[in-house]
Amino acid sequence: MVDVKKKAAELLSSEAVKVIIGYTEGTGGKPRAAFIQNVADVEKLIFNSQCVMNLAVYLTKAEIKKLGKPAIVAPVNVLRAIIQLAFEVQIQESDIVVLGITPDEKLVEFQSFAAIESYLEDFKMELDAKEKETLAKISGMSLEERWAYWTEELSECFKCYACRAACPMCYCHKCAVEQNKPQWIPVAAHQLGNMEWHIMRAMHLAGRCVNCDACHNACPKGINLNFLTKLMLADAQEQLGYTGPTLKEGNLLSTYNPNDQENFIK
Amino acid sequence: MSRIGVFVCHCGENISSTVDVEKVAQTAAGFDGVAYSVDYKYMCSDPGQSLIKQAIKDHNLTGVVVSACSPRMHEPTFRKACAEAGLNGYMCEMTNLREHCSWVHERTEETTEKAIDLVRMLVEKVKNDKPLEPIKVPIFKTALVIGGGIAGIQTSLDIANCGHKVILVEKEPSIGGHMSQLSETFPTLDCSQCILTPRMVEVAQHPNITLYTYSELESLEGYIGNFKAKIRKKAKSVDHSVCTGCGDCWTKCPSKKIPSEFNAGLDNRTAIYVPFPQAVPNKPVIDKDHCTYYQKGKCRLCEKNCKPGAIHFDLEDEIIEVEVGGIVVTTGFDVKGTDFFPEYGYGKYKDVITGLQFERLASASGPTLGEIKRPSDGKVPEKIVFIACAGSRDPAKGIDYCSKICCMYTAKHAMLYQHKVHTGKSYVFYMDIRAGGKNYEEFVRRAIEEDKVNYVRGRVSTVYEKNGKLIVKGADTLMNGQPVEIEADMVVLATAGVANCGSEELAQKLHVSYDRYKFFAEAHPKLKPVETNTAGIFLAGACQAPKDIPETVGMASGAAAKVAALFSQDELKREPLIAVVNRQMPPTFSSCVGCFLCETACPYRAIEREEIKDRAGNVIKTIAKVNDGLCQGCGTCVAFCRTKSIDIQGFTNEQMYSEVMALLND
Amino acid sequence: MSEFEPKIVAFVCNWCTYAGADLTGTSRIKYATNVKIVRFPCTGRIDFMLLLKAFGEGADGIIISGCHPNDCHYTSGNFHARRRWVMFRGLMNFMGIDTRRVQFSWVSAAEGAKWAEIVNTTVDEVRELGPYTDYKKVADYLETEVTNG
Repeated sequence: MVDVKKKAAELLSSEAVKVIIGYTEGTGGKPRAAFIQNVADVEKLIFNSQCVMNLAVYLTKAEIKKLGKPAIVAPVNVLRAIIQLAFEVQIQESDIVVLGITPDEKLVEFQSFAAIESYLEDFKMELDAKEKETLAKISGMSLEERWAYWTEELSECFKCYACRAACPMCYCHKCAVEQNKPQWIPVAAHQLGNMEWHIMRAMHLAGRCVNCDACHNACPKGINLNFLTKLMLADAQEQLGYTGPTLKEGNLLSTYNPNDQENFIK
Repeated sequence: MSRIGVFVCHCGENISSTVDVEKVAQTAAGFDGVAYSVDYKYMCSDPGQSLIKQAIKDHNLTGVVVSACSPRMHEPTFRKACAEAGLNGYMCEMTNLREHCSWVHERTEETTEKAIDLVRMLVEKVKNDKPLEPIKVPIFKTALVIGGGIAGIQTSLDIANCGHKVILVEKEPSIGGHMSQLSETFPTLDCSQCILTPRMVEVAQHPNITLYTYSELESLEGYIGNFKAKIRKKAKSVDHSVCTGCGDCWTKCPSKKIPSEFNAGLDNRTAIYVPFPQAVPNKPVIDKDHCTYYQKGKCRLCEKNCKPGAIHFDLEDEIIEVEVGGIVVTTGFDVKGTDFFPEYGYGKYKDVITGLQFERLASASGPTLGEIKRPSDGKVPEKIVFIACAGSRDPAKGIDYCSKICCMYTAKHAMLYQHKVHTGKSYVFYMDIRAGGKNYEEFVRRAIEEDKVNYVRGRVSTVYEKNGKLIVKGADTLMNGQPVEIEADMVVLATAGVANCGSEELAQKLHVSYDRYKFFAEAHPKLKPVETNTAGIFLAGACQAPKDIPETVGMASGAAAKVAALFSQDELKREPLIAVVNRQMPPTFSSCVGCFLCETACPYRAIEREEIKDRAGNVIKTIAKVNDGLCQGCGTCVAFCRTKSIDIQGFTNEQMYSEVMALLND
Repeated sequence: MSEFEPKIVAFVCNWCTYAGADLTGTSRIKYATNVKIVRFPCTGRIDFMLLLKAFGEGADGIIISGCHPNDCHYTSGNFHARRRWVMFRGLMNFMGIDTRRVQFSWVSAAEGAKWAEIVNTTVDEVRELGPYTDYKKVADYLETEVTNG
């Protein structure tokens, strides 16, 4: 962390950046995001295993953009999001400084997004055993049980949209749930509205989700909504050969392979 | 508030015999927003259309639902009728009560109920219809013709004679294509070069035609009326503006062992060469792959012997960009070689040749000056066997189709052989004789009856060499499959006509589709045989499927007429059923967030980028913009767009949503 | 009580399946009245949300059909659609939405008989499965809530 702080101080004092987006102590022992604009405040930066929120979400927020050019403290989840955001033309190389950070708090500097992409090759985006187990558990239920499980799970949702606010990929100025011509998703937080919101959210994250769990961590009800996107990730990997965020041409659902699976088509 | 008119057609009895049309019309009258509803015997007839027009005026209708046959049939008819009555044509939709209801169901209550449901859903869709205006696209009146065989020559001349500029691109050093290789042509036996070469010269001299030989299409961008083509002019190493075509260079060239493409490998050419004496242009190029200087760095004999100093070894490929409004693809075909046939010796028997090689043997300009001689020893064959359908109509070889020209040219070959070798005996093994065409059947009969060609109906199982003879073993299926064995001096295979080897790559450059044999695909097998699925790109000749000269020429003139029709207008009107990116009031300007994931979803590369600026000229954001010349209206981007920022006119989100929501209303 | 008759919605592309269904008509091949066709320009245009809307409105089964691979009028709309369905189908299944009620198919403009067969087998299969109430109940909950309150 020492070298991260040192670099952050350097960047601020040389005015190479105007703000450092990083983690700091929050209330109740939970870290929160910090937006450090003075060299003196650099000391407040922390990094530990509790730092799970995906800071990349701030790169596209107008309030943060107003502060000026940022440097961002970036563990692997954030790096993945940066690559996906760059691919989706939401951030430019020249607009940010990326302060990569290893799990043991070492600084990794990057000269380009391409360098981030090759760094990430050592961190394959894969579901861990526990995640796979949960997926298998749900998939192993009967159709009726799965339906009951998800209607029950999603009945907790009261559409606060914290999941959306925490997700680095939910940067749209006007989300589809706010489109009312037609009103695709019923506004009220009843079962249908909840169900369709979460289905649409998962579909919109297919091939874009970086599996950072920010949505789940942000959910005040602790809904397992991240398992919808995890399922999508597993399916994309297994059936369509998806490997993770990349700067190369094409998104999972806006490209195709003529030999894609079609055993379900008559 | 919508005022929809519903017009239920009986279609004589086609609909009314199974659907209670009166009930449909009466029920529809009660739908929310329906101002008028009526049934009538024939809606598409003049009185039927008048009824609609009158109702639009009398009832001040804002939308029309015609419940009749398939919209694929009569949608344009009714949209036009509405427009004539002052209602925007795109405010009219059709319910398919005939093909999708009355013709596929029995007369039951359910059938009428279904009809009512179908009407209801279209009423809801029409409520969300918006008036649309056709899109106007300017047209650049120059045509690009790719391929300088007879198809490309004919098409170029026809377009040029209509007064339009033509750019003709040919990858070989000369135009002429396969037709220039042929000896005589069926069914008249007139000399191929005699009828072709005047046309070749006409192309070269035509003031409206720019000819680029030894050139290929590098890339293509744009859309109908407004294509931008990059053409690679391969380095000829000879400055044609200086060259006199005297021939001093190629007579001195030491690389003399290069199989001649023009003579189908039956003799050789030099590295600096003119492909054949009547070539257009009649000036040489250097084949770099076989030139001693290019390969080994020494020689330059041609340069030393060139008096005008036309040889320049340092010439490089040049890429030029041209603007064209329409394109005709005339890249022709290839024929399979003898090496494709293990059963006939894999091409290792010198005297087993292809039909194209026989053309060169029979041609007065060929390697034997028109005498039929065996490639192996130059002897005149006493017995000759022609095998039709060599590869064609043979699923085991992966060529299921009929190559179409072989029956006729095989009859011609046998006839030419009999004319040239009076004592010779000729045999034709065939599966069926396909001689459809003016004077074709008569031609084949002449070969059999007057020239005594022996036709044997059956397939040849094997050809092998024995004591200097070619043993041809087959069966005569008209004689109960009796085995036939012929000791022949020469065997001619009517090998299958196949797509040009570069056709797949070219199709991808052009964004046109092709079939599983890699022939280019026409837009409709019957009604759009010269169009492709890409507007403004047309086809002629054997690049679409094997065909003979008269058919090719006819198709070439057809394609030329399509181009001329396109160029007869200054702007093109297109159906406005295309995608649009929404625009909103500031500060958002559009709900598009500029992720551009739609770029790769679009099959037509129609998604462009547009900067949105404030009054001071600062860029606020960059959003997607649909090029209305390129968009074909598939709507893939619409279903893909997360923010619902792109919509497709005619099938908008609101239209489709309301149609689905109405469909299940009880 | 009369036998249950499923409500089937078909989302089809204009160029292949719609034309194929036209051919079923011109060939006078009979099929069940249960299906109602919604015409789209291309399968690539079919929004996955519309499937949910159809189930919410009481559809017991859905047919999605377009051009065979490589035959798409727009060259690749059907390929994009196929990918979308691979993902969406997996998600529906995972959430307990009955994908046995969604029949995907390729029906060309020449396959009038195939269209009739797809409709008839889908109707039979969905009839066997019975009414689809799970999703509709959730949707109806909305109506009750709104009217009550």
